[in-house]
Amino acid sequence: MKRIIINEWRLLYRNKTQFGIMCGFMIVVIVAIFLSHKQYNVQYDSFNSAKNELRAQWENIDAMNPHSAAHYGTYVFKPANLLTHLDEGVNSITGNVLRVEGHVQNEMVHSEASQMMFTSKFGKLKASLIFQYIIPLLLIFSAFASVYSEKQNDRLKLIVLQGISPNRIMFSKALAIWLYSNILLIITLLVYLIFSTSNLSSDLLLRLVLFFVSYSLYYFIIIGLTIFLSARINKTAIALTSMIGIWMLWTVFIPSMVLSSVEDWHPLPSRNAFKSAMSEDRSKGIDGHNPSDERGKALETKVLSEYGVDSLSQLPINFDGIRMQEDEEYGNLVWDKHFGNLNDILQDQKNTVQYFGIINPFTSLQNASIGLAGSDNLHHQMFLRQVEDYRRVFIKALNDEHAYGGSKTGDWGWKANNDFFKSVADFDYQPIMFKTVLKHYLLDICLLILWTGIVIVLIIFGTNKIAMT
Amino acid sequence: MKILMILKFEWIHFIRNPFKLIAILLFMLAAAYGINNGSKLYHKQIDEIDRITTQSSEDLESVIAYYDNNQKGPESRPWVDVTTPFWAIWYASQYSFKEPSKLMVYGIGQAEQYGYYKKVTMWSSPYDADMAEEIANPERLNSGQLDFTFVILFLMPLLLIICLYNIKGTEYDRGILSLIKIQSGTIKSWVWTRLLFYALIIIIVNFILLLIGGTLTDVFSSDMSAFWLYWLWINVYLFIWVIGFGLIIQYGQSSVSNTLKMIGLWLLLGFIIPGSVHQWISTSYPTNLMTDFIDSQRDERNELYDLPDEIFQQKLNEQFPDILNSVVINDSLKIGNARNRSASALANELTKASIVPIEDSFKAKNKAISATYWFNPVTFFQNRFNQTTKTHFDDYQIFRNNIQTRIDRQVELMVMDIWNDETVDKNRFLNYLEELNGNTK
Repeated sequence: MKRIIINEWRLLYRNKTQFGIMCGFMIVVIVAIFLSHKQYNVQYDSFNSAKNELRAQWENIDAMNPHSAAHYGTYVFKPANLLTHLDEGVNSITGNVLRVEGHVQNEMVHSEASQMMFTSKFGKLKASLIFQYIIPLLLIFSAFASVYSEKQNDRLKLIVLQGISPNRIMFSKALAIWLYSNILLIITLLVYLIFSTSNLSSDLLLRLVLFFVSYSLYYFIIIGLTIFLSARINKTAIALTSMIGIWMLWTVFIPSMVLSSVEDWHPLPSRNAFKSAMSEDRSKGIDGHNPSDERGKALETKVLSEYGVDSLSQLPINFDGIRMQEDEEYGNLVWDKHFGNLNDILQDQKNTVQYFGIINPFTSLQNASIGLAGSDNLHHQMFLRQVEDYRRVFIKALNDEHAYGGSKTGDWGWKANNDFFKSVADFDYQPIMFKTVLKHYLLDICLLILWTGIVIVLIIFGTNKIAMT
Repeated sequence: MKILMILKFEWIHFIRNPFKLIAILLFMLAAAYGINNGSKLYHKQIDEIDRITTQSSEDLESVIAYYDNNQKGPESRPWVDVTTPFWAIWYASQYSFKEPSKLMVYGIGQAEQYGYYKKVTMWSSPYDADMAEEIANPERLNSGQLDFTFVILFLMPLLLIICLYNIKGTEYDRGILSLIKIQSGTIKSWVWTRLLFYALIIIIVNFILLLIGGTLTDVFSSDMSAFWLYWLWINVYLFIWVIGFGLIIQYGQSSVSNTLKMIGLWLLLGFIIPGSVHQWISTSYPTNLMTDFIDSQRDERNELYDLPDEIFQQKLNEQFPDILNSVVINDSLKIGNARNRSASALANELTKASIVPIEDSFKAKNKAISATYWFNPVTFFQNRFNQTTKTHFDDYQIFRNNIQTRIDRQVELMVMDIWNDETVDKNRFLNYLEELNGNTK
């Protein structure tokens, strides 16, 4: 087996066209990583500059009523992710800016995709574009050519006559090309690591290892299946076109069809209907700006009895701040309910897509790739959750200052000082540790392993008698 | 061999080749699925627009009832007074829509990247958060819908490869190319006639699909010129691929080698070049984080309220010179309130000023993309298709411009009526509705 693998490598090296194409694509991958790195730096600088500018504005508030400051609010920018060098995922369409303010939970806006006309259906030239769409096709041709040349020259019969079983030859060929593809992956990841040395962490390495494993498994599936079909089908053109057909179905047709269909199977509400439902629920709570609101009156009675006084003017605190916070707490419950439902639907959609990995390993690869690169919807939703958690702390700090900072009820002219505004913490994004989300990608990795097993079985049991056919 | 004879032989080969027939069938299925997706999105948007319009009409009925019942506004909001221009215009402002084109059945384009309805008030701007896209799965948005345009742009070249891969290659592999040369005179004309056969088959298939799609959204009752334009672009696109593949076949030899080259060309034009351009654009023109817009929406607006009255008034007078001849200008009791209520007019100017450089940056980015068309045909055709189906960036820019025009109209009407101390009755409110929402779609 070792000899067959070495021989296969020699042939690959001697085939100048094939070797040249592989080298060419290696260069393209390295250029892609370099450009991604450049883009990351540009994005990182722009993000930092915007973040610092907005924070400086907040810290420069001389004196302002805390509730006015809640309306003034702040902005959170989605930080650039280092792993997007490899797979950008949903980052270019999810928006970059989120306004954090009182009373409302805003959505991310100003996505990159909305700022330009259509450019590329399959995204930017990232490593993932080449790894997912181009390298597999080259591997199909390499695997096909490897079997085809043996069959064409009758070398296959000669080797079998020497006592080596056909399935062993085919398996060795698959291993040889697979090892070759792994070298491409390793070189790419090493180049990536060179650009990322200053940010190395165990989390990043874990993600990279699994990234490598996922692609490596997928490549084995592609190579093994091509070897199997090339060995089994006598007509060369049909063998090759069948495999290309499978590749087209897997990479172009099924992913688009599945993603389009899951939204029918698990429909999402329209924005307007969603907002109306939230407003409806929200209207059942306290209206922070409306002193005559009935539920506000009940809260007033409760607070007055707690302080043992008869009127708001006797309170040592500012009741307006308490009412505003109560309004917020209710709004938070409404948000949790509606966005919880929305996330459940999105999770159902994701689960359905993941199960399509049973018939299409490319779906599993894509899911694993964007998940491991931290650029899938799950990571995006977790980022949004962090922002919402921050918003609650941020608004509560302002409402508490309004209530207990020294003003009395109705004193809207009262202002908190600059020290207070400086003391309100800025949003600090905590990168998502992969071990906390690993369970979401286990199905994808397991399905890739399952497919690998199926392909191994196909090669071992399906190519045993090819030399005789 | 005469052309007709070549075409006849090719027809016999075609109908006896299950592989090519299945490929055509799969292509048609994919196209039908894409057309269905386009039709679904079109009807979804139309239904949503109808639902919002109905909801708005109901809300308006309740506002009109305030006038009929001599009420100032809703009981729960005692500060509202619909007899003042400020609140009357607040309630008269309605949604602005970007109605989908019937040709959306063929291409969804960038339709899912933008909102298509917006409630326009005097405090609005075309870049508000509610202009974000509809709620959708970001992973699905990222991969894009499988629409008819996608089928044309990416699957049609693949169909061509399947149909053409064995032309000349099989004869070369079998060593009978010389025989063909004797029979047909030149290999070149024999190859191109066979290519033409498949081009004609695909033209017919595409036309049938277009006709079927057209019935789903009633395309033929509206814009026939757009329909023919779309069809024309498809055929131009088809012939570019036919020429590209034809040259590969003409100068190529074995079918395996030709298939590899054709797939290579498809990858180059469909994936690598657009991906590289996209990457270059992102690096050269980074995403605008809209900090100027944020400043105008927040700090600069806040500063307006801190302006001394004289400067505030001066800015208002510059924007609306007729204020100098208004009733309120000399009414010391009402002038303060009029100024406060007119703040949105100045805020609107600040927003407009902040939007100019932002939109300039978008234009620069789009110009850079257009400059790559000569070597980036897939992006060129995608944008042509998007323009024809009214789902292009520019169509949404027009929608944003319309929103801005409506904001300007609201602001102007409100300011002048406030300063002229108008009292709003039912008739005036209905006039507002007509004037502000006469063309809501």
